Amino acid sequence: MARKPQENPALDMTPMIDVVFELIIFFVVTIKQEDLFSQLNANRPAPASSSSSSSESDTTVTIEIGRGRDANGIIVYNKRVKRLQELDNDLREVARTSKKTPIIVKCATDSPHKALVDVLDICYRHELFSVSVFTL
Amino acid sequence: MARKTQENPALDMTPMIDVVFELIIFFVVTLTEAQKKDETIELEDGQHGIVLVPENLPPTHMQIDIASRDKDGKPLPRARISMGDRDITPDEIGRRVKEKYRKIGEFPVLIRADYDVRHEAVARVMNACTANGIWKISFMAIAEDKTSKPGNPGRPNLSRLKRR
Repeated sequence: MARKPQENPALDMTPMIDVVFELIIFFVVTIKQEDLFSQLNANRPAPASSSSSSSESDTTVTIEIGRGRDANGIIVYNKRVKRLQELDNDLREVARTSKKTPIIVKCATDSPHKALVDVLDICYRHELFSVSVFTL
Repeated sequence: MARKTQENPALDMTPMIDVVFELIIFFVVTLTEAQKKDETIELEDGQHGIVLVPENLPPTHMQIDIASRDKDGKPLPRARISMGDRDITPDEIGRRVKEKYRKIGEFPVLIRADYDVRHEAVARVMNACTANGIWKISFMAIAEDKTSKPGNPGRPNLSRLKRR
């Protein structure tokens, strides 16, 4: 079908606007809100040094994580079982002394990953960034 | 074929709109393709970590998923380790890390593990990395929860600290 010669040289924008609106609505509806993620960094000690504790200085903070009775695992610090709120207070004290304090987290193989993330999160909360993760 | 002299000076928008649509479809398809991951994983909260935005994560990073449940939500007897939603063994991770390390040197490794996965599976992945030169491991957590509804039965909220 031949194109009619246009008498009016102005471009009719109406269909384009229709289509653009359609697209905007489509994307608004289909895009789902994603969670905002964070990352917690930890160092892994060399396998050779994991057996010897000679590198641990007096100030080093050691936190142990075990399986525990519920899904949260069990967190031991200073030979005492700690709840997260208690560990939070303890690490606040540690951070007050020095933010460079090395932290060693020792995880049992059957401990839940959640406990490790919780401990790392508390370390980050108090800006204790030199954290190493051992596996028992 | 010679071009007809146009009587009408108005620009024909049709080919441009065609091309723009083509581009939009291309980007939508490639974007969803690039974000392939294990959708079953539920992360633990970590509000104090470094917020992950695509800009501060270099494109060279390596993301490893560790799932404790299958697609139906049933616990797996052995954690599923995957990259880009494809199963992978720790040995294979080791090989890939080694090859990448040889090419570009140090790069970030991001572990995206289920909150209830046993540490043993995480340790296997970490060992595969450390054996091949990567000592710094990052764990992914949720900085701000926007998708799960209140009373979501999936992830227990027992440990959540007060937000600051």
